[in-house]
Amino acid sequence: MIEVGRLVVKIAGRDAGKKGVIIDVLDDKYILIDGETRRRKVNILHIEPLNQKIDIKKNVSHEDVAKALDELGLKVRITKPKPKTQKPKAKRKTPEQLRVQKEEKKKLRDIFRHKKKEQKSEVKQEATLEEKAGLSEEKKEGAKAEKPVEAKPKEKKTSSKKAERSKE
Amino acid sequence: MPAPRLRSRSLRRIFRKVPGNRVSLQYREKKPKPAKCGNCGAVLKGIPREMPYRMRGIAKTRKRPERPFGGVLCSRCMRQKMIDKARQ
Ligand SMILES: [Zn+2]
Repeated sequence: MIEVGRLVVKIAGRDAGKKGVIIDVLDDKYILIDGETRRRKVNILHIEPLNQKIDIKKNVSHEDVAKALDELGLKVRITKPKPKTQKPKAKRKTPEQLRVQKEEKKKLRDIFRHKKKEQKSEVKQEATLEEKAGLSEEKKEGAKAEKPVEAKPKEKKTSSKKAERSKE
Repeated sequence: MPAPRLRSRSLRRIFRKVPGNRVSLQYREKKPKPAKCGNCGAVLKGIPREMPYRMRGIAKTRKRPERPFGGVLCSRCMRQKMIDKARQ
């Protein structure tokens, strides 16, 4: 039953119920079929041979199979080959370009670094100058003035509490 | 007394052994019965066992096998059916 040109029905898998022709017998287990399914290697257990047989040679082209099956009223599955799209290749930079890139980066880095340093130094100098000018004295005075202000009410409170307690 | 929302039977109850050698009552979502073959009654594989509202969110290709009678017949019954058809 299993021979080249025999019509078969596939009974297993996504192609179950689809007809095809045996194109080649690979060994005692596998055959090659074509037709309503795509051209594929198939296990003999997954097909059911039919009574019909057509005259085709071993390993015929897909077009010939299509012609032969068209007479029987079977439509062959036609798979359009996908149009090949070329992927844009990632361009590698030449060593010279890389050098230029590095230099540019360095320049930018240097610019920012200098600016930061200058800003910091300026701020520090100003602060120190102000302190020298007399802010430091003011601050010291303020601190001195504040401390007694804070301390005095505490004493008052404690004293008042003590007074209350003594009263009680 | 359990919380009011747990007093209905819309959740199934299971007993779980929890740390401390204690058995506690826990509540789980109900699940429908697994899908069966229309011919022989075998449990179908490749079909998720989820509530209908969850099935709606799953892609069609993940809900049944991609073959004739997929999700209706088991593969064995489908093969037999195809053989019978071919031998007629
Ligand atoms: Zn079945």
